[in-house]
Amino acid sequence: MQENNNKQILLVGNPNVGKSTVFNALSNKKQKTGNYAGVTVSSHSGNYLYKNEEVEIVDLPGSYSIYPSSEDEAIFSKFLIEGQKNYSGVVYILEALSLKRGLLLFQQIQDLGIPMILVLNQIDQAERRGIHIDVEKLSQALNIKVIQTNAKEQIGIEAIKEAVFNNEFVTSEKAGFEIPVQHKNLLKADSEHDYHAWINLTLGKDSDSESKNIVPKRLQVQETVRRYQNADKILANVITKKAQFKELLTEKLDKVLVHKFWGYVVFLFILLIIFQCVYFLAEYPMNWIDEAFAWLSEFSSTHLPEGPINSLVSQGIIPGLGGIIIFAPQIGILLYFLYLLEDSGYMARVVFLMDRILRPFGLNGKSIVPLVSGTACAIPAVISTRNIENLKERLLTILVTPFMTCSARLPVYSIIIGLIISDTTIFGIKYKALVLLGMYLLGFFVALLSAAILKNFIKEDGKTYLVMDLPTYKKPLFGYDFKLVLGKVWDFITGAGKIIFIVSIIIWVLSYFGPKQNSNEVVATDVELDHSYLARMGKFIEPAIEPLGYDWKMGVGILTSFVAREVFVGTMSTLYSLDDDAPEGKVIDKMRQDVKPNGEKVFSFATGVSVLLFYAFAMQCISTLAVVYRETKSWKWTGFQVAMMTGLAYFVSMFVYQILK
Amino acid sequence: MGYENDGLKMPAKIIEMGLLPDTLFKILYQAPFGGPLYVEFGEEKSRIALRKEEGDFIIVEDLINAGK
Repeated sequence: MQENNNKQILLVGNPNVGKSTVFNALSNKKQKTGNYAGVTVSSHSGNYLYKNEEVEIVDLPGSYSIYPSSEDEAIFSKFLIEGQKNYSGVVYILEALSLKRGLLLFQQIQDLGIPMILVLNQIDQAERRGIHIDVEKLSQALNIKVIQTNAKEQIGIEAIKEAVFNNEFVTSEKAGFEIPVQHKNLLKADSEHDYHAWINLTLGKDSDSESKNIVPKRLQVQETVRRYQNADKILANVITKKAQFKELLTEKLDKVLVHKFWGYVVFLFILLIIFQCVYFLAEYPMNWIDEAFAWLSEFSSTHLPEGPINSLVSQGIIPGLGGIIIFAPQIGILLYFLYLLEDSGYMARVVFLMDRILRPFGLNGKSIVPLVSGTACAIPAVISTRNIENLKERLLTILVTPFMTCSARLPVYSIIIGLIISDTTIFGIKYKALVLLGMYLLGFFVALLSAAILKNFIKEDGKTYLVMDLPTYKKPLFGYDFKLVLGKVWDFITGAGKIIFIVSIIIWVLSYFGPKQNSNEVVATDVELDHSYLARMGKFIEPAIEPLGYDWKMGVGILTSFVAREVFVGTMSTLYSLDDDAPEGKVIDKMRQDVKPNGEKVFSFATGVSVLLFYAFAMQCISTLAVVYRETKSWKWTGFQVAMMTGLAYFVSMFVYQILK
Repeated sequence: MGYENDGLKMPAKIIEMGLLPDTLFKILYQAPFGGPLYVEFGEEKSRIALRKEEGDFIIVEDLINAGK
C-alpha cells in the first residue's frame, strides 16, 4: 500500500460560526450542523485526501474562551491544550459578523503558541450589512494566513486544503496579552509558556494559588477585557462601515418569534404542523411499503420450497423487517423538521422563551433542546445536555429526557392508535393525530413533573445561569438537511433492522418448535402457535402482565422491547404472520381481529391505552442507558432511571387498565 | 455600563460574549413572567439572552433619559 503522509488538524471557533459547515465541506463524513450553540457536543472527526496527504480533521465543540464553563467547553480546552503534540495545527474559524467576539479565543490560542490558520467565514453576510473587511490588513495585524470562505457554497474550501497541505500554520511570536507584572513572578517557571502557566493560575489549578493571594476569577475578567480592547484596536483599521445597518431579517422576525404571546403561539403551531405532517404525509409511503412487504412475503411463500426455510423467510424475517421499515417515513419527517428548526437559528429563541417556564421544574432553558430532540432520539439528546453549565440541571435533564416520545415509540404508538382509535375527524383534524399529539404532550408533562419531584433529591448544586448567544436567522439548507435525514433514516433501518432481523429469527425458531408431543421426536416442529416454546415463555410471564391487560403475545413483544422499543412491532408482525388461523391481510387487521378464548377482543380500548402508557413511561432502550451511564458516570443514577421509569410504567398501566376495563 | 463587585460573582460568560464595561446596549425583549432578557449590544449588534439575575450584576447608565 502506498505510504501517505498523515496530518491531524483541529477546527476551532465560537459556536454558530459555521464550523460544522466547514467540517462538512472538508470531510467526506456527514455530521449534523445546527444554528444553535453546542450542536457539536462531542468532538467528531473526519478525513480527506488532498494531493496524497491524508488529513484528519477534528471538529471541536465551539467555545467562547479557553476557560471552560460547561462540559463541552471542558472537552474543548482539554483537547486543545493537552493534546498539543497530536495535531499539526488549528484552523480557526471566524464569522465575519462577529469578529470581535471571535478574536478573544483566537488571541488566547495564539498566545499558547499553537500554530494556526484563520478562516473568515460568511464574509458575504457582512458585506450585505454594509461592513467591509480588509482581509489584507487583518492578516497583517494578526500575523496570520487568512482564507475567506463561504462554506455553505463550498467557496474557499480548496484554499483551506491547499494551505493545510503547504503547512501555512503560523505561530505567533509576540504575546497579544502581556501578563501583568505583579503576577508574572507568581507563574510556575517550569511551564513551556508563560500563558499556559497563567491559565493554570486563573483556573485555580496552580496548587499555590491561594497562598499567592489571588482571585482567579479576577484574573480571567481582567484578561478578557484586555483582549477585547486589543481586538478593538486591531479591528479599527480592518473594518470600514459603508452604510448604516439595514434592519435585518432577524430583527423583523424576532418581533414576532420572541413575542410574549405570539412567540408561544408560533412555537405551538410549529409543533402542531410537524405532528400533522408526521401522521399524514407519511401515510402514502407507509401504505406502499406495507403492500410491498405483503407482496414480498406472499411471493417468497409461493416460490420457496415448502418447509422451515419458507416459513422462516416469509413469516419470520420479511414481516419482521417490514414492520420496522414502514416507520422510516414518519421518523424521517420528524427529523427533517427538527434539523430545519436547529439550522435556522430558531432553537435559541425557543430556549429564550422556555427558560422561565422550565426553571420551576429545576431545569434550564437549554434543557428544551434535549427535550425537543428527545422526540427524535434520546441518545443524541442526552449528549446534547453537555452545554448546560449547571451540574444539577444537567443531571435532571438527562434523567427526564427519555420520557420524551422518541421515534422508536412512534411505531408502537401508530399501530396501537390505529387499533383503538376510530378514523373520524374533528375540525378537519383526525382523532388519531390528536391522540398522537396527546402522547407527545404526555411525555413532555411527565418529564417536567418528574424533574420537579427529582430536583428535591439531587444534592449537587452550583450557580445556575443563562447567558446565550442568539444567532442571526439563516436560511436552512433544505437539500442538505434532506440528505442528512436520509442518512439518519438509513442508520435507523440498518441499526434497528439488524436487531429485528435477529430477534425475528429467534422468535420464529421459538414459535416453529414446541415441546414434544409424542415420544419419538426430540422437539415438535411446525406446531400450532399456541403449543410453541414461545407461547410457553409468554404464558410463563402472563401472570405478571395480566393485570395490565396484556395477553402472552404482547408479553413477548414487551420482553423483546427491552432491547429497543421498536422491536415490539417487528415481534408482533412476526407473531401474527405465524398465526395460521388468522386470515390473509395486513398485520394490523390481524391484530384487530384477534380474540381471546372468551371472545373478547385482545386489543380492546383498555388494553390499547395500557400499552400506550407502558411504552410512554418504561425505560426500554439499552443504547440510551449506555449513553446515560457515559454522561453521568454513575451506576446509581442509571439504575435509578431504569427503576423509576419502568416502575412508573407498570403501575400507571395497571391502574388505568383496571379502571377502563 | 459597568459591573458590580468587579464582576466577581457573575458568570464570566457575559464578558466573554463581549458585553464589556462601557458598552452601549439595548434590552429589546423580555420573556413573560420575568423571563430572560434579549439584549442587543455593540457595533456588531450581537444579541444574547440573559436572565434578570445576571443582568443585575450590570451597572447601567440610562442614556436615553439622560438626554444624551
